[in-house]
Amino acid sequence: MHQLARNLHLQQDEPALYKLCGLSYSYPNGQTALKDIDLDIAPGDRIAIIGQNGAGKSTLLKHLNGLLPVQQGSLTYKGQALVEDHLRQARLEIGLLFQDPDDQLFCNTLQEDVLFGPLNQGLEITAAIAATETALTAVGLVGAAQRAPHKLSYGQRKRAGLAGLLAMSPDILLLDEPTANLDPHQEEVLLQLLKDFTGTLICITHNLLFAYEICERAVVLDQGHIHHDYTFKELVSHKASLREHGLDFTFRFAAAPMPEDLETEDQTPPTIKTHPDGHVAPGSSQLIQLQNYGFTYPDGTEALVGLDLYISRGETLAIVGENGAGKTTLVSCLIGLRCGSGEYQLGDKQVTDANRRDNCRQIGMVFQDSSDQLFCPSCYEEVAFGPRQLGLPKETIKKRVAEALDQVGLAGFDERVPLHLSGGERKRLALAAVLAMQPQVLILDEPTAGLDPAGEELLLGILKSLDVTLILISHDLFFIRRLTRRTLVLHEGHLVQDYSTEAFFADTNLTSLNQLDFTYRNRCSLEIMRLQHEHEHSHRHHHSHEHPHRHGDLVHSHPHEHEHEHVHIYNHTHHTEPDKASQESANSVQEPTHGHLPRADSPHDHEHPNHEDETHDHKH
Amino acid sequence: MTEHQTIHFAAYWLPLLGCGVILCSWLAMRSLRRMITARQTTADEQIPTIDAGAAGTSLIHRWDPRFKIIALLGFAFCAVSLHSPRSVLVALLLTIITVSIARIPWHRPLRRLLAMNGFLVMFLIVMPLTVPTRISDTLIIFGDWQLMAFNLRGLELALVIIGKAWCVALLMEPLLATAPLGATLEGLTRLGLPGKISETLLIAHRYLFVFLGEVQRMRSGMEARAFRPGRRWDTLRDLGNFVGMLLVRSFERTHRVYAAMQARGYNGSLPHHHQFRGATSDWLQTMVWLGLGLGLVLADRLHTGGF
Repeated sequence: MHQLARNLHLQQDEPALYKLCGLSYSYPNGQTALKDIDLDIAPGDRIAIIGQNGAGKSTLLKHLNGLLPVQQGSLTYKGQALVEDHLRQARLEIGLLFQDPDDQLFCNTLQEDVLFGPLNQGLEITAAIAATETALTAVGLVGAAQRAPHKLSYGQRKRAGLAGLLAMSPDILLLDEPTANLDPHQEEVLLQLLKDFTGTLICITHNLLFAYEICERAVVLDQGHIHHDYTFKELVSHKASLREHGLDFTFRFAAAPMPEDLETEDQTPPTIKTHPDGHVAPGSSQLIQLQNYGFTYPDGTEALVGLDLYISRGETLAIVGENGAGKTTLVSCLIGLRCGSGEYQLGDKQVTDANRRDNCRQIGMVFQDSSDQLFCPSCYEEVAFGPRQLGLPKETIKKRVAEALDQVGLAGFDERVPLHLSGGERKRLALAAVLAMQPQVLILDEPTAGLDPAGEELLLGILKSLDVTLILISHDLFFIRRLTRRTLVLHEGHLVQDYSTEAFFADTNLTSLNQLDFTYRNRCSLEIMRLQHEHEHSHRHHHSHEHPHRHGDLVHSHPHEHEHEHVHIYNHTHHTEPDKASQESANSVQEPTHGHLPRADSPHDHEHPNHEDETHDHKH
Repeated sequence: MTEHQTIHFAAYWLPLLGCGVILCSWLAMRSLRRMITARQTTADEQIPTIDAGAAGTSLIHRWDPRFKIIALLGFAFCAVSLHSPRSVLVALLLTIITVSIARIPWHRPLRRLLAMNGFLVMFLIVMPLTVPTRISDTLIIFGDWQLMAFNLRGLELALVIIGKAWCVALLMEPLLATAPLGATLEGLTRLGLPGKISETLLIAHRYLFVFLGEVQRMRSGMEARAFRPGRRWDTLRDLGNFVGMLLVRSFERTHRVYAAMQARGYNGSLPHHHQFRGATSDWLQTMVWLGLGLGLVLADRLHTGGF
């Protein structure tokens, strides 16, 4: 079942809000971003535009708001082309939420920013202020109206950007990666806001669980074409289509059972000596030892307080916590970018303010935004930068660069410009740049941010193959589960939990403590699993089919029915009731029982290898 | 050349005094910096927000920005046209009183002064040594070093320049920090500043902090890969790449910001939403300030012997 584009949803008696016919677009460098797009969007549609990085999603979104001109084909909004006065009017009805909130918040205070749209709509100042207050109240930022955007947290800025749109009471919301870099709590807040929005909603996202909650229709773009256009439920239940477009996110369901390969791994706990309270005791085998470690910012904010932390060589651990919990400050101290108070021993070296900058020879870090790490004109120079700073000979540098690029699947990219790479490639290049320094410890800060599912899967494979001490900062439960054996929970600068990752997943108290609420993700996962479950198994069943077969020496062919057992792929639903599932704990690992729906009316139509050679009896 | 007064000191006083001045300056700057750092309200205040104190309710805060701009800029012009140290001292006192009335935390104007002082100290050293000698001048001579004659009139001139610079720098705080920057710039536009300039300044102020954040993150990215600025050619190349990438990122952001503005109905000018009233009290305050400024100039000219 690989259905190509077909238009959905539009009722015959309902005029299209958007009508796109043969829309094509090429960038000035000749790159084709959209090709022959035919799409109808009805009022009230809730559409997820999905596809791999570079599929043309953002280009399409910019066309819907008239930010890019129509080069070929046609695009009408409410029956008219988006030009001149109609374009100006349309922009006042269409809200576009950019991926980076700093692009959107261009005024010096939040209130000024939110006022911008309503005033452009021609509202009187009093009405505009009232609309602003309503919008800021809706996003929970009414108390921050006079604050400068750079004084807000990332999640707050994201909500502030949305408030700027909501104040305009838009008919349509266009969202570009709305959940990028948000923690689970902020994600859920945004989800609720968007659920409450009653207009037309068009969303670009790689977070298909999020899209599953707010969208009913899925448009899959592939290299500028619309490849699929059907209901979201149809999309997620058809794993083959997802996989074909690099969108198969089902490998990462948080609620799914532990993958087999993990179960077959060495189940011996890592070399952590755990106290009854879950903390780890110091010992000579520790690579990193922090004792009573703290860090206070110049304004007096205590980012880390009295930390005792011991990390052994080869250990894999995750650091989780809400935004502002101190995760990034902790790793900044570990790598030597900051210097806190207390004892810090790295290997045999006592880390002090004077020698902390040498830590990066042993500890490498991949930043959340790879762009912050990439500044060289070619991939080769980028990867060679670190080894060059270490003073290595040219031949060694060359060898290390080749190895690192090969390790991350970027062999042959030496002369490519990092700026022109896709998000996933840039992330892997940043990883290669760190690996070329051969660190003993690798720190990854939100490695999956901005990656499409295919990119995530590729990165996961690379990370699993590395033989280093791994520290993962992430809100991504799947990556935590697959990559780490130990989890630290930070809250307001304190280390509140230090236990095995398995115990972390079983911990039901985290939601109230630090808003590590993954409830809706798990609920979505379970629902999608009910829609889609495909695996190999064998059972006895009846076939009614025609095929050549033998009865002793007699070989003939005719339709017949018989029972036999063989392995096959079987799409089926799970029997777990949704209500029951949703009542389960947020972080618990659920394994719903499954069975097969009656399929007496649907004979198997798959191949039966060697079946013709079987001797069997049946009625003639 | 023989009519001027001379004061002779032994030669060893020169290095002693030099060291003393440098030490005092260093100590003063150090304590000032410490005081400012201790009063920073947020961790990211390497660049202070211009209108950080806009939420106050003082007399200066309530002043219509248009009138405030005219009055304080007018006073600043008067202050810089003063000649005598006494007049400058009075202007400085009036300025300090203004800052006090505005109830602006003192670490902000002091920080502004600190940034200037490194440059201003040069006047204290250079001007006494280079100012042309007049008949009435008093010279300090160390030992037999006639060429190193230290002219006290030069010192006085340097102090006057420093006093005037401090006046203007201090006045910038009540002028810019007591109203939202948008309101101040809108006021300037109403007074005739081209709208494009005020919009550019407004957006530049907003993105200065975003830019700074990018610089810090990229610098951390380099340091995390063992980058240490050195004297090698490699360092120059790396810094070149760093600056180049910053420019590319800023250029790309410019496009995105413009798109975001267009997407919310921007049609070439930012909407005006600040309300200006121009009450009697605003007129009165303006007249008082301009009167004080002009009065100072008048007194100064009378004291120094003409216009």
